[in-house]
Amino acid sequence: MRVIIEEIKKDIRILLTYPAEIAFWIISPLLWVVPLVFQGKALIGGLQSTAFANLAGTGEYIPYVLIGGIFSTYMFTAVWSMGNALRNEMFYGTLEHILSSPVRPIYILLGKGLYNSLLSTFFVTIQILICVFLFGLDITLQKIVPIAFFLVLLMIGLYGVGFIASALTLLIKEAQGVLHLFEYILFLFTPIRYPVEVHPITRAVSLFIPLTYALVALRGILLGIEFDFVKNSLILVALDAIIVPVGIWIFMRIEQRTKRRGTLAHY
Amino acid sequence: MNKIIFMVDEKNIVLTDLVKVFKKRRKDEVRAVDGVNMEIKQGELFGLLGPNGAGKTTLIKCISTLLIPDAGTATVGGADIQKDPLGVRRMIGVLTGGERSLYWKLTPLENLKYFAALYGVPRKITAERIDYLLDLMELKDKSHERVERLSSGMKQKLSIARTLIHDPPILLIDEPTLGLDPYFARFIRGFIKKELHDKLGKTILLTTHYMDEADELCERVAFMYNGKLTALDTPVLLKQSMSQEQILEVKCLGDLDEKAFSHMHEEMGISITKSDGLTYIHISTENPEDLLSRVIDTVRDHVKVLSVNVTTPTLEDVFVHLTGVSLKDDTTQRE
Amino acid sequence: MVRLNKLTHYIRAINAENIKEWRIEWKYKPDFFRQFLAPFVYLLPFFLYGVALLGGRFSEHLRSLTGVGDMIAYTFIGYLIMGFLNTACWAMGWSLRKEQWYGTLDTIFAAPVPRWVYVAGMAAHSTCHQGLIMLLQAIVITILFSIAFQTSGIMLVFLIVALMVIGLYGLGVLIAGLTIGLKQWWVISEALSTLMLIVTPIAYPLAVLPVFLRRVSMLLPTTYGVMGARYLLLGEQINIGLGMIFIRLAVILVVWLSIGMTIFLLMDRFGRKKGFASLY
Repeated sequence: MRVIIEEIKKDIRILLTYPAEIAFWIISPLLWVVPLVFQGKALIGGLQSTAFANLAGTGEYIPYVLIGGIFSTYMFTAVWSMGNALRNEMFYGTLEHILSSPVRPIYILLGKGLYNSLLSTFFVTIQILICVFLFGLDITLQKIVPIAFFLVLLMIGLYGVGFIASALTLLIKEAQGVLHLFEYILFLFTPIRYPVEVHPITRAVSLFIPLTYALVALRGILLGIEFDFVKNSLILVALDAIIVPVGIWIFMRIEQRTKRRGTLAHY
Repeated sequence: MNKIIFMVDEKNIVLTDLVKVFKKRRKDEVRAVDGVNMEIKQGELFGLLGPNGAGKTTLIKCISTLLIPDAGTATVGGADIQKDPLGVRRMIGVLTGGERSLYWKLTPLENLKYFAALYGVPRKITAERIDYLLDLMELKDKSHERVERLSSGMKQKLSIARTLIHDPPILLIDEPTLGLDPYFARFIRGFIKKELHDKLGKTILLTTHYMDEADELCERVAFMYNGKLTALDTPVLLKQSMSQEQILEVKCLGDLDEKAFSHMHEEMGISITKSDGLTYIHISTENPEDLLSRVIDTVRDHVKVLSVNVTTPTLEDVFVHLTGVSLKDDTTQRE
Repeated sequence: MVRLNKLTHYIRAINAENIKEWRIEWKYKPDFFRQFLAPFVYLLPFFLYGVALLGGRFSEHLRSLTGVGDMIAYTFIGYLIMGFLNTACWAMGWSLRKEQWYGTLDTIFAAPVPRWVYVAGMAAHSTCHQGLIMLLQAIVITILFSIAFQTSGIMLVFLIVALMVIGLYGLGVLIAGLTIGLKQWWVISEALSTLMLIVTPIAYPLAVLPVFLRRVSMLLPTTYGVMGARYLLLGEQINIGLGMIFIRLAVILVVWLSIGMTIFLLMDRFGRKKGFASLY
């Protein structure tokens, strides 16, 4: 636990030396949504779409894409921060020192994951506040607990993905391509920008990704769209129960394998 | 073999009151190069000897136009480093950064092809030149292997080959044997002396903090410390400058607190180095016999004396005598 | 005495830079192929989002604004042309940073070539690279979605795109310069890229933008690149003539290149004065 806390403290200290980066991560998810808003206005000329409502449960596409943009922050930080955590240590030449310390690397990754969850939550909170003031997003105290509930389930699932991503960087070394592929899958096959029901392929693949159910639930809570609370919770719990142990198992197997091969610290 | 021919001045490198200052955030500044004056003649192998942080690398970077000095002038082969940087760069080969100055994902052959084009080697002689250099550096059988798989020594050899790709008349070589094992270090030193200097007649400015290297290779040596040159002469004459003095070397087992010598430090040049659990005390003095008993009295309560030697001064001893610090000391906060 | 022919030297150096980058990229094969996937991944959400809004591919409202009702064809051309923004913001901008990371920046900067030669080498590589990716994307998407183009103006499209790309080189050079001196250069690069993605009419006409953003859009080469290409390939209705597009592109090109090179040279000088040009 102490290691995790120290890892978090270290990363926060480093981040505070980059104020521009903090500002960037607060604002940019909202900016990335702006082209979609203009595209919507160009295509349908208004703020509501019947076709969209048939797929997504709401015709108001602007709040829909805003929510997706905001909460996708968790996804990106899980893949990149955890995926790159050990790779960065390889680059600095400190990986072997870390791995020969009496701390299991899985805890270091967990520290990174928790740090990024805290950071993402901080950014998301500010973004939601911006949406409340600028776009009139309705958020009440009653909504906070269920939002937090689904966020926790989402983060746990994304940790599993993060463990897998990190394991691949230990194995492949040049893993930027692999991390990008993770990102592409999450980007294309989850309802970040559009309801996955728009195409049978996106619908099918999205069933296996925790972010899908989390976004459905979060939009349901924030925008008042009907959704099955119990079903989404149970599926998320089930996915987390599979992805996390699988992620840890894959990581530990690959760590052992690279130690045996002697390629652990090679950058 | 076709050669690339340059016309250069007799005085290949001339520095006049060169200054380079780095300003830190809290308004204090570091004078990394502080009024350096120097002339290096054509075909000379000139050494710049000083500890880490003395300003050697900064000086090399100024001469090679990678840094802009804050005052003073410098010419290389007659070209001014600020008015004609391109002209300067045509005449120099710079070896700095060692193995990190190569593309690790490429092979030696691919690296040299790229640098040949960048440094303007005519196409018709490129293949021949690369072949010659790989042969010279004994890298021919590694020419198609990625640089990342070569040992440090081989990477450094390749760096030298890259430095020579355009056959420059003037070479700026920064710490060429740093971090290399004895075999490769010996090879590099021999190569610099016999091939580059004796056979090819290059003008070479070599920086190092290894006394042996400077002593063995260089025709003249300048001591650099805190950005300044404190002495400049041939190694023989530098050592003879302390001819009245001898070096009392005391080898001790254990770790000696330098404060034990604080009462004596101000009187004479004392250098204390530690290695593998041993402490070496070097004191330059005209009367080693008189001093011996004082030294033994000072250290006996702290360490066990293993041996006592009286030697003639080395370049390092001269350096310590002039500056008060050893070549092994790290003064990087200054650079 | 043998004199090195300067022009030959510089052209060889530019080409050598291009070839070197291809060689290094090829050594990272998974990432090399992944880059060819990326444009599809970022393009498809625009399509799927549009289909979700419309319930299909065609939009009457878009037709009334632009004369083009096919949302997919409309968006595709915009996105394809914008691909060169990556050239500027990331490929060129990142190139010096890569050299710092490799440790080779000092060696390159000690070479007897002016800085513009190195910049031209970066530009050559990134243009070839991005051009190849976009060619593949164009072929696949056109076939997959049965997009029909007007081909009579194809050469003019290439000319417009070429002018746009040269203008974007100015941005690329500017960002490359920033990497020398600024720790968080990527924030500026990302911010500029995001701004350009918003105000350039990729998936929508300028008419839907607020007035102040429309004015900003008029200063960007990408705006004219996209407008000109869609006018020639799809018959989009535009409110300025083709001749004016060329004129404005030419002016923007000169201005952007000048600003970019100036900032690059200033940052280079700044880096050499302060001594952190080669530091990663």
